[in-house]
Amino acid sequence: MLAPLLQEDNLDKPRNIPVTILTGFLGSGKTTLLNRILSEEHGKRIAVIENEFGEVGIDQALVINADEEIFEMSNGCICCTVRGDLIRVLGNLMKRRDKFDYVLVETTGLADPGPVAQTFFMDDEIRAEFALDGIVTLVDAAHVEQQIGRNDESAEQIAFADVLVLNKTDLVDGDAIDRIEARVRDMNRMARVIRSERADVSVDTVLNLGAFDLDQVLERRPTFLEPEYPFEWTGVYSLDAGRYELSLADGPDPAMSLVIVPGQGTDDAALRESAEWCVRRYAEPADVVSPAGEIAAGRHLSLQLDSPGRKSFFLAVDTQARVGLYAQHSAEEFDLQLTRANGEAVPAEVERTWVAQHEHDDEVGSIAIETEGDVDPNKLNKWLSELLFERGVDIFRMKGFISLAGESRRFVFQGVHMLFDGQPDRPWGDAPRRNQLVFIGRNLHEQSMRQGFEACLI
Amino acid sequence: MSDLTADSPEGVLRPGWSARVDDYPIAGGWTLRGEALVVGDAAGGVYAFDGKSGATIWAQRGVHEGGVLAVAIHPSQPVFATGGQDGRVLLWSAAEGRTSLAVDVGSGWVENVAWSPDGKRLAVSCARQVHAYGADGAKIWRSDDHPSTVSAIAWSSPEELASACYGRVTFFDASGGKPGQKLEWTGSLVSMVLSPDGDIVACGSQDNSVHFWRRSTEQDSMMSGYPAKPSALAFDGTGTLLATGGGEAVTVWSFQGRGPEGTRPGVLDLHAETVTTLSFARRGMRLASGGRDGVVAVWSLGRGGKGDAIGAAPVADVVGDVYWRPDGHALAALDAQGGATVWQVMARA
Repeated sequence: MLAPLLQEDNLDKPRNIPVTILTGFLGSGKTTLLNRILSEEHGKRIAVIENEFGEVGIDQALVINADEEIFEMSNGCICCTVRGDLIRVLGNLMKRRDKFDYVLVETTGLADPGPVAQTFFMDDEIRAEFALDGIVTLVDAAHVEQQIGRNDESAEQIAFADVLVLNKTDLVDGDAIDRIEARVRDMNRMARVIRSERADVSVDTVLNLGAFDLDQVLERRPTFLEPEYPFEWTGVYSLDAGRYELSLADGPDPAMSLVIVPGQGTDDAALRESAEWCVRRYAEPADVVSPAGEIAAGRHLSLQLDSPGRKSFFLAVDTQARVGLYAQHSAEEFDLQLTRANGEAVPAEVERTWVAQHEHDDEVGSIAIETEGDVDPNKLNKWLSELLFERGVDIFRMKGFISLAGESRRFVFQGVHMLFDGQPDRPWGDAPRRNQLVFIGRNLHEQSMRQGFEACLI
Repeated sequence: MSDLTADSPEGVLRPGWSARVDDYPIAGGWTLRGEALVVGDAAGGVYAFDGKSGATIWAQRGVHEGGVLAVAIHPSQPVFATGGQDGRVLLWSAAEGRTSLAVDVGSGWVENVAWSPDGKRLAVSCARQVHAYGADGAKIWRSDDHPSTVSAIAWSSPEELASACYGRVTFFDASGGKPGQKLEWTGSLVSMVLSPDGDIVACGSQDNSVHFWRRSTEQDSMMSGYPAKPSALAFDGTGTLLATGGGEAVTVWSFQGRGPEGTRPGVLDLHAETVTTLSFARRGMRLASGGRDGVVAVWSLGRGGKGDAIGAAPVADVVGDVYWRPDGHALAALDAQGGATVWQVMARA
């Protein structure tokens, strides 16, 4: 069922009517947002397809009520499941002379966004006339934490979103809002998160998203595509042979992981190379080291810091060398100091911080891949086909852009489960050619996906 | 492949007349012996054009709020029925354009309307139900809710009606509405045709396949591999050939002998985009096809399903439907620009 990546008819096709899907649990504010969109002066003709009876101002738009009809295919593939009611209603809408500029589909509170989104990829007639512009999910800040725990649908609605409207923030205190935002961002790193009180968001933020535009996401959060590491900080020290004391003051955690890399270089490439090496060390069981203990290079160490006051650990250096300290926390947090036996402090020659891995409590999460270089289209097709065949059920969304060998334009794509749509957009010009991909799904394996993609590079 | 030459690009098709309606023409048909071509459009207008000249006989605009969805011509009287998004069925006199009766069927769309072969009953579908009326519009029965919106209805005989929806085809006793045989299959059935003897039921499915059942032997088969969903289906008058869309090619299955299982279908290549409509002339093995490419083609087929294009002509836009005049000597096509185009169809090019 996977559509080939490069189809002739994808090239330069005329713009289809954009469709926004509005999801969110009952009481999250969908109807309020819908009314807001329809009552704003935007000069657009909007058709609304509703699955729940709301109080929508009918003067402003054509409102069609449709009973949600979920059609599974005989092959049993959930990724091929579509919404039959939408196919009928949209099939009819596109026959009207007074065409619409925009279509909004409001789903029921408990709807799985998959079949709605898939309808715009799976049905050839719908696909010929309409284009999924974006999925907007309203989140009731006061109830979302219980909902995520209780319903798969809630997590999936968050995972599918291009825009997450964190609504009813006035009903929750500031700390809780920050915590909720961090949690939903962890689940879906691709989405723009907007806070609102009574769904009072600007229409521009929910319509005409141009859901492809990863550039916007990157502008907002430049570290978005950087890989996450289990450490936050690296300091490189130039050391002579001798005995050194590593001391730490009281800090936020009772223990801290550390890997010491011998022969560390100071340029960024060397730091990154060691970072990858340290990721593997961090995955190994740690040597637990109590205060006053000896610390060895090349091992995953867990420094025990639960006793009060400054704690010291000792490092023996045989010959003059640079070492890199890859620490779970930044030097500031524990006032980390390295001193010679004579008590003289050794300043770090180079310091660098890393994007720290978050605690992923939720099964649903995001993976971002960024690399430079050109991709072999055949290899990419093969890899994606296999990946989506095997993991399509668990991959909710993907989007990104790719530098295809021999193509002067960026190739942009998006997908829902194992369905896939892409086309070339603007020329690369002088911009560096690179690849950025984001996958959102359940229990995704970052390492193997990253390797799989990198194997497609020429 | 095609026999068309540069001298005669339209083959057996000779220009007749053309007319326009205000909006996208949704459905239509020839009345009786072809006195008029009736067309309903997306703005809810209903029109009748003179069969010979194309002159507008009458036009009634905005009668179905939201648009016309279906038109059914009575088999033996100058009467036809329309269904629309307003949930109503209207009965019309073809000559004057007056509605003799308006029936409020329900709050959903009336998407299918079909007269029984003897013209004594009118079946309609509205959302998940099928309703049957007498020729006078008197209600006879109504079905229970189907599992989904009814996608198609067809009469297998004057006494039996079939409906298609998600997952099944159901047969109903025409006089009392009692459900009888059910043919089940997991999939969204988007179209349905019955062989003239009512034995073979063919459905196009959302998953790009055609599924069919032989009711007498309860044998069923699936033909898959279509690039698109086969919404256009047509049986010829003898029940030998089943023409199917579902892509740029027309695929024709022959039921002669032990077929079509294990046989190779006829593949008719001409359209550059997906085929949208198919119709056999009432007699003979002439098939008309229309496509998203805005081309109408006429094919002459053998009993094995193979055949050649014997005529083709362009219209202004995507072809919505094609209708053979009952005598088979003229063909009408409706296109997305609101055009109704009629050709004379010659015996040979």
